[in-house]
Amino acid sequence: MSTHTYKKFEESNAGGLPDKMTVYQDCLNEFNESPVSPKKCRLLLSRLLKLLSHGDTFPPNEATALFFSISKLFQHPNNSLRQVVYLAIKELCMISEDVLMATSSIMKDVQNGSDLVKPNAIRSLTRVLDESTAFSAERLFKSAVVSKDPSISSAALVSSYHLLPIAESTVRRYANEMQETVSDLKTHQHTGSSTEYYRGSSYMSQYHALGLLCKLKSHDKVAMMKLVQQFSSGNILREQLAQIQLVRLVHELLVMDNQLIPEFVPLLSNWVSSGRQSVQLETCKLISALAIHMPTDLFDSMIRTLQMMLAVPHVSFRFAAVRLLNKISMSAPEKIVICNPELESLINDSNRNISTYAITTLLKTGTSKNISSLINTITKFIHDVSDDFKVIIIDCIRTLSLKFPGEWKNLLSFLIDTLKSADGGFQFKNSIAEALFDLIHYVPESKEQALEHLCDFIEDCEFSEILVRILHLLGKEGPNTSKPSLFVRHNYNRVVLDNSIIRSAAVSALSKFALTKGDPTLGPSIEILLKGIEIDHDDEVRDRATIALKLINTSKTDPIVAEEFIKPTYGYDLYALESKLAQYLHENPDGFTSPFDASTIPKYTEDEIKAIELKERQQKMLAATEGTSVNNSSLAGDSSAPKATQDSLIETSDDETLSLKYAEQINAIEEFSSFGTIINSSKPVSLTEPEAEFTVFGVKHLFEDHVVLQFNITNTLKDVGLENVVVVCNTEADSNEIEEEFTIPVDRLLPHEVASCYVSFKRPNKTATYGFFNTINFTTLELDPATNAPFEGDEGFQDEYEIDTLYLQAGDHIKPYFVGNFSAVLDELPYEQVAVYNLKQSNSSLQDLVNKLVVSTNCLPLENSQFVSSETNSHTLKLFGKKVFTDDRVALVVGMIKSKKGTALKVQCKCDDESFCVDLANELIL
Amino acid sequence: MVNLSLYSVQAVLILDNEGKRIYTKYYYPPHEPKEDSICSNVKKQKEFETSLFKRTHKQDASILVYEDHLVLYEECSDVSLYLIGSLQENEIVLHDTLNAIRLAIKLVLNTDIDKRDIQENYDIVCLVVDETIDDGIILETDPQTIASRVTKLPTKDVSVSIDLSEKGLLSAWGFAKSKLAEKLQQGL
Repeated sequence: MSTHTYKKFEESNAGGLPDKMTVYQDCLNEFNESPVSPKKCRLLLSRLLKLLSHGDTFPPNEATALFFSISKLFQHPNNSLRQVVYLAIKELCMISEDVLMATSSIMKDVQNGSDLVKPNAIRSLTRVLDESTAFSAERLFKSAVVSKDPSISSAALVSSYHLLPIAESTVRRYANEMQETVSDLKTHQHTGSSTEYYRGSSYMSQYHALGLLCKLKSHDKVAMMKLVQQFSSGNILREQLAQIQLVRLVHELLVMDNQLIPEFVPLLSNWVSSGRQSVQLETCKLISALAIHMPTDLFDSMIRTLQMMLAVPHVSFRFAAVRLLNKISMSAPEKIVICNPELESLINDSNRNISTYAITTLLKTGTSKNISSLINTITKFIHDVSDDFKVIIIDCIRTLSLKFPGEWKNLLSFLIDTLKSADGGFQFKNSIAEALFDLIHYVPESKEQALEHLCDFIEDCEFSEILVRILHLLGKEGPNTSKPSLFVRHNYNRVVLDNSIIRSAAVSALSKFALTKGDPTLGPSIEILLKGIEIDHDDEVRDRATIALKLINTSKTDPIVAEEFIKPTYGYDLYALESKLAQYLHENPDGFTSPFDASTIPKYTEDEIKAIELKERQQKMLAATEGTSVNNSSLAGDSSAPKATQDSLIETSDDETLSLKYAEQINAIEEFSSFGTIINSSKPVSLTEPEAEFTVFGVKHLFEDHVVLQFNITNTLKDVGLENVVVVCNTEADSNEIEEEFTIPVDRLLPHEVASCYVSFKRPNKTATYGFFNTINFTTLELDPATNAPFEGDEGFQDEYEIDTLYLQAGDHIKPYFVGNFSAVLDELPYEQVAVYNLKQSNSSLQDLVNKLVVSTNCLPLENSQFVSSETNSHTLKLFGKKVFTDDRVALVVGMIKSKKGTALKVQCKCDDESFCVDLANELIL
Repeated sequence: MVNLSLYSVQAVLILDNEGKRIYTKYYYPPHEPKEDSICSNVKKQKEFETSLFKRTHKQDASILVYEDHLVLYEECSDVSLYLIGSLQENEIVLHDTLNAIRLAIKLVLNTDIDKRDIQENYDIVCLVVDETIDDGIILETDPQTIASRVTKLPTKDVSVSIDLSEKGLLSAWGFAKSKLAEKLQQGL
């Protein structure tokens, strides 16, 4: 190549992307030459790598051709060429065929190559091996693992790790060598010839060996314990990554069995104050994840460690600490109050992610006292962050309004100010509107002021979507306020000034004012306004106005019907409505001649909808760990809430859909068709140990005159089928008030199947507690594993299986309800019953108890009282619900104090119904 | 669940000051089926890079949570280095790893990192990253050690004469030294 062309070659290399075909041709030509020029080849390979890295790929046949011509370069001994060759081979392995052909050349290098390229050779070797050839590399890997050179050892360990999915047995054969590598401290030999850099004494191979051992023993608790004991003592693990890996191993162990925690406390407290911040961080993660089981002093020292980390100059350290604190603040906000000074200084951090985390954490630790000062700080801060962060902060404020209803004035003025400020996109404004809606819904005192501010806002709002929502809200809430005429004016302004979508929403809202009870003069004026709108040039607006007028006119003669349409008191369950409609369209039995039947869809009154929404909101608050974080990332993956509560969450969040599912199942059964619709369904109660052979969940359904117990039975056995499964329910001896009607057995229950057995009773008139002692009777059949059918002629044998008692309680007669001011309602209720319980030997936390009570009473926890702060030993739970059939209100205040001897409970139950009150209070806990 | 796996890095990216690719490497375990993640196809990768760049460019944040990933980055003159890991990963470890890559490139190239240097020494950048991370497993976090394992472009196509010339130089220097010592002694 002449100097001239050579120069061109260099230039093209420095510029943009090389041409794919040229590179391909050049590679083939150059690599097949003899003797090869290492410099030119390396440059060519570098261009090839650039292409691949930019996302260009070659078709398999070209890639294979490239792969083979590259493998020709093995004949040249130059190390710097060899290193890049291995890199190219690693890249091409994924797209070319017959990569096995290179195995022998690579193996030769692993055995005889220079120390410099050996690690590269080893790491490339994994890529060309497959299931059938992996075993052949065993000897090579084994000797490389124990090599004195840490790079070679690491390469072999990492490669073995990659090979695990396809060749675990091969890798297991040199587990002993791995153990050795962890404890054997390898240092780089300074030969001086190969490099000009001083190699730090790195013990990375410890990390890789330990990681590999963890993976190999990941299911063996005893072996894992042994690993921890072996390597935690003394000063064996020098490498920080290896120490981190050990922390993770302990984490895994403790998750598997949290009884082991006391044993590890000294080790953990040692780590949490160790000199290495990465190890500290990992230990903090461990402690926070298992917070409920951790001793308090360990938890406190974790907080102190994190507090220290908040002041470190490195951004990543601060970020890690504040992220973890933010997570902890979800479950134990009172614990991190001591970090508040540091957090406050982080509000002005140049990294906006950190400042947002700091703000949201502060908001969570906030008490009603410092809320107003916090809001002041945020007001200054919110204008110079991007919209994403603003949305997160607003979401946080929104949850605050649920938490501290008493602080609504501050919150309201903050929200209104930010809403009216000019900047911010749709998402931001929408989230503010949502927050305001929440405030109006759940804090009734704030309603009028908030509505007035919203009226101001819609005068110059640029987002139609938000405008429409606000108009709808005005229509709903406006008529019940003290001066509805004000809202009418604002509403009508929209009709005059805005586009057709907003106009039609305004018309709907206006029509609702016509029925205002408080101000009889409004009705006729609304009529006049609507008549004026009837000549609007938009169809939809005209239509709505006409319908509204018509309804208003009928309301004079038949007020109930009209009211139903103008101000419906209930809404449909939208999910159920959607699925029913989809089903109706899909099935289309008679060409749509039969109308859609909406009667089976659950209807909710406004308060019920509020109760459901509040419940969802509360659950979100628990589950939203990463959700409220710097990103709107999905909640999956990084949830820190203790696992137990997570599980219960999943159960309860599916609650509504679950009861719908049950209702559907029961409706499908003939015997129940005469029973009418289900009035109330309880949550499923587990009646067996979770690891039992047959797991059973009991659900209680109430009908007008009947009680149906549903037993969901799961067969967890592999090769046994059950036939004629019957649940025999014996009620307590004295109960002749409750009469069994019939039982619907399960005909056949195959392995891993779930089936339901139903037992029906006459509904007792009293609401007292009834216990049902249950036994399952069944015939077991052994199954042929091949066909999964019973062996022919096998008659099986009778067996029975006892399960726990299922109680029909007063709580099963209650539906959760939302009420705005709990204490006022509590005073209102006429009957009162107080009961005191002493629970001994209870290891469970107050939170567990609260969860249990919420399930057993079936009431809605109010005023955020379902969260027990982990620090205190006392708690007050406030519950509200309504009795089905009679709509009697039920309010419960449960005070609980935990001491060493057990837990003491004082239940104050107030109700519209005297006997129910007594039943509920006295039999709250069995 | 506890993250015991050694696969801790999901991708290493080097983007220029317009968010275009200079170097990208998405990692997944070589012998396991590919999951549907950011690395599943080039189109998704590029979308991810563009939106990530928009979020990070000139933001001076250096660490953030982005689309369910932990992202660490560093802007050096006209390029940005990104390291992407899972949300559970230890932030400090990732920080050390990113630092190791940056310092090792700096050491080997003996200059501050910029786009032109990376383009011209693409092989070296590839090798540095390969010596730091092997398909998601962190191999080494000490920049010196990484740099020591990276070879430079062969100086000459024929490498036979190097030994001779080195010896020659050494002997020449030794000769000069002895002569000087002699002269000095004579002078004294």
